[in-house]
Amino acid sequence: MSDQLSSRTTDSTAAVNPVQVDLAGDRTSSGAPSPTLLEVRDLRVNFHLQRSIVPAVQGMTFSVNAGQTIGIIGESGSGKSVTARAIMGLLPKKTAEVLGSVRFEGKELLDLSDREMRQHRGKNIVLVFQDPMRSLNPTMRIGTQIAEALHSHQKITRADAHKRVVELLQMVRIPSAEQRFHEYPHQLSGGMRQRVMIAMALSCGPKVMIADEPTTALDVTTQAQIMELLRELQRELNMAVVLISHDMGLAAMYTDEVAVMYAGRVVEQATTKRLFKHVRMPYTRALLDSIPSLDHPSLEPLSVIKGRPPDLSALPPGCPFSPRCHFAQHKCEESPILETTEDGDRFACWFPL
Amino acid sequence: MTLSIIGRRFLQFVPVVLGVTFITFLLLNLLPGDTAEAILGTNANPVSIALLRKQLGLNQPLLVRYWHWLEHALTGNLGSSLITQQQVGTVLSQRVPVTLELLILAFLIALVLAIPVAVLAARKPKGIIDRLGATTAMFGLAIPNFVLGLVLILLFAQHFHFFPATGYSALGSGLGPNLRSLFLPALTISFALFAAYSRMLRADMMQQLAQEEYVITARAKGVSEPRILIRHVFRNSLFSLITIVGVNFGTLIGATVIVESIFALPGIGSLLVSSVYNRDVTVTQGVVVILAVVTVTVNLITDLLYLVLDPRVRYGTV
Amino acid sequence: MALSRYPTVLPPMLAERVSNFRQTAQWRRSLDIWVPAGILILLVLACFFGPFIFGLPGPNAGSLLDARLPLFSAGHIFGTDAIGNDLLSRALYGGQISIEVGLGSMLIGFVVGGSLGVIGGYRGGILDIVIMRLLDMFLAFPSIILAFVVATFLGANEINVIFAISFFTVPAFARLARATTLQLRERGFVIATRLLGARERDVLIRHVVPNVIPSLMTYGLLTVAIAMFIEAALSFLGLGIPAPQPSWGSTIASGQQYLSNAPAIVLVPSVFLFTAVASLNSLGNALRTRIESQ
Repeated sequence: MSDQLSSRTTDSTAAVNPVQVDLAGDRTSSGAPSPTLLEVRDLRVNFHLQRSIVPAVQGMTFSVNAGQTIGIIGESGSGKSVTARAIMGLLPKKTAEVLGSVRFEGKELLDLSDREMRQHRGKNIVLVFQDPMRSLNPTMRIGTQIAEALHSHQKITRADAHKRVVELLQMVRIPSAEQRFHEYPHQLSGGMRQRVMIAMALSCGPKVMIADEPTTALDVTTQAQIMELLRELQRELNMAVVLISHDMGLAAMYTDEVAVMYAGRVVEQATTKRLFKHVRMPYTRALLDSIPSLDHPSLEPLSVIKGRPPDLSALPPGCPFSPRCHFAQHKCEESPILETTEDGDRFACWFPL
Repeated sequence: MTLSIIGRRFLQFVPVVLGVTFITFLLLNLLPGDTAEAILGTNANPVSIALLRKQLGLNQPLLVRYWHWLEHALTGNLGSSLITQQQVGTVLSQRVPVTLELLILAFLIALVLAIPVAVLAARKPKGIIDRLGATTAMFGLAIPNFVLGLVLILLFAQHFHFFPATGYSALGSGLGPNLRSLFLPALTISFALFAAYSRMLRADMMQQLAQEEYVITARAKGVSEPRILIRHVFRNSLFSLITIVGVNFGTLIGATVIVESIFALPGIGSLLVSSVYNRDVTVTQGVVVILAVVTVTVNLITDLLYLVLDPRVRYGTV
Repeated sequence: MALSRYPTVLPPMLAERVSNFRQTAQWRRSLDIWVPAGILILLVLACFFGPFIFGLPGPNAGSLLDARLPLFSAGHIFGTDAIGNDLLSRALYGGQISIEVGLGSMLIGFVVGGSLGVIGGYRGGILDIVIMRLLDMFLAFPSIILAFVVATFLGANEINVIFAISFFTVPAFARLARATTLQLRERGFVIATRLLGARERDVLIRHVVPNVIPSLMTYGLLTVAIAMFIEAALSFLGLGIPAPQPSWGSTIASGQQYLSNAPAIVLVPSVFLFTAVASLNSLGNALRTRIESQ
């Protein structure tokens, strides 16, 4: 499945896209080995609050190549969204301390000035948000909001921008795009709004897309449509995608590699295939068990992870998951080392399954 | 959808206006101090006072008197001054334009100063402009306008002779002298308004910057900070500004009463003061009713403006 | 499709970005409350006890021989007014009146308006509509004009000024109390108590009122400031505190014509009024931010 995702079909642009939009430029030409686009190494984020310091992300490391998808999976508050915003340079400078390294095409992003970073945001690296209602300006026409992204990165006349926006709206399969251009966010359905967000993200032909829970606010049918759309567009534009989600099912279907986060750290990381074949970390197991599945008899109650995600400003010593873990032993009061197997998979657990 | 909201606002408007006129009438007629006595003086012959009371219809029940007054008021007849015998309507029509011009000028000065200060303060919180703006606003809200007016007269009229200290030069005798005569009073009124508007705008913009997701979306798009501030944040704050303009209108009216007295401007504010001194009840009543009705109307207009301009409300969400 | 891998131990070359995060000390963060509060306490003490402590002459004990003395004159540290009265003495005695009027009209608004708002907001229905419509009509009048008319026709004295200003404070408090009550009514704990069958009066007194009071109290500080303003304005126009009694507003008015040769007459009471109002505003704002952030 992952092979299918990453293999690039050169004619996909014509096949999938009814309107010819040359967004990807020369990057669609196949042949060259897929380059590593985004490289995150030992990313750490500390929030300095009035009375405390909250370590929201502790040592996140991953990389994505063109055409590939990595899933970052975890419960709410595990540091997924903070990771996304740290990569984009969107965390408030006054309170958030970002350490480590984020490289785009080999260039360090964390060292860039605001001005330099802005030239990457929305052009090379884009973000699709969870709640499209709140993420769109309620008092601005959607067309204007998409056009704004174009104007921010290129010299373009209003008429040309208008034309491009309509093309983009068609590209994300919004019917009667010309009319929709003039509508306000609340006049659209949730799915349509998310399509608008995606059109906005695609406007400048991005190389990396970070999708932060892109379907959480949508109903199940719309969810599938949006994910399929994202997959098609990724193939078409040969984007690297970071899919952030709490949903293991989504990760299984749409990613090549998965990093599971708990309490701000990666607890297990492997290719999607291997991870679902052999889970090592009890937390990953627990997440998988809490998905309703057709294989399970429906009368059997779903397993639930007991307890709550820990308070980041007062973490227990040792493995942060140990208080909720069935397999926890005395040893778990020491911090586990993030071990690397010969396959390159990583996990942090003293007693792997 | 919107039409029905507008309709409902209008329906609420009528009873409020009626109520406002009735309260005015009630206040002025129930409170001690007899009009007939006021006209003839306290030493007058009780018989002639009684006669005058009858002439003025003061011996009729209150509700009847209110009804008569309302009947006349609706046809534009607000009675005549007890002192000068002039028609109240005529006096008002001479006075209202002066006050109106003063208010518009004050309002413009306040907005022209408040908007850039608020935007720059929101751009750099705790920066120089923010601190200066905050200090100025603190003074603006704590210096009474009569003190400010006196200081401005001392400084710009008596010391530097830039502007006339008092008096009004009508628009008919040239725009220059007219504006010069209104500048200091308008500046006096605008100071407190500037304080209120600039602080409100700044707070509203800061809140959006900190809490609204669409600000982050705009940043993620690569939109520059100044552009986010103007195109997204300030634009949306304008809706709150409309509301605050309506809410502050009463204060604005109150300020004209004092400022017109200090600068000897022939507006309705100074008319109110002189009519109260002279116990000229009909004039006082006319002025208070006009002011209250205008205040209610301005509130209605700002509400409607908000409805018409804000797409969220226009399309019936929120 | 090999995804790039990294060893778990990171090379030391990933230099840490130096952080410049400062923790503000606790005492500095509460300065915005203590400074204005301290000034207000000093002001109140000075107004009510100052005249005796400093052995000041009475506010009307001046002689025309001493008229319009400048600041820092011997025996009259802040100078004298147009008829020779000591300006400091007038400012302190005038302050007493200002404080009494401010507190008095605020308290009337707090108690009467607060109760009306809580009852209207909690009960809802016709009662609420009638109360609010009626009070809205009073709010339609610019506050100073209402006070102005009421004070004149009642006759100018301290009690009537308080009464006149209450025409503004009562509806203002009622509005705020109602809005807060409406929010509380939808909150879990109030609904729960009601569903448990608690008596309405108990719910109101034990759960609603204690939660409404904090926001009313911070608003009360702003109201005192507004009331002081209105009192000064009324007295300035000669419609507030009657003549021989000292008031900041009337002293300022009396200095109006001597502005260029004896500015102290306007200056001294103005500074007192400004200090009081500015401190009340800052304290009110500081407390409100504190409550809102909780």
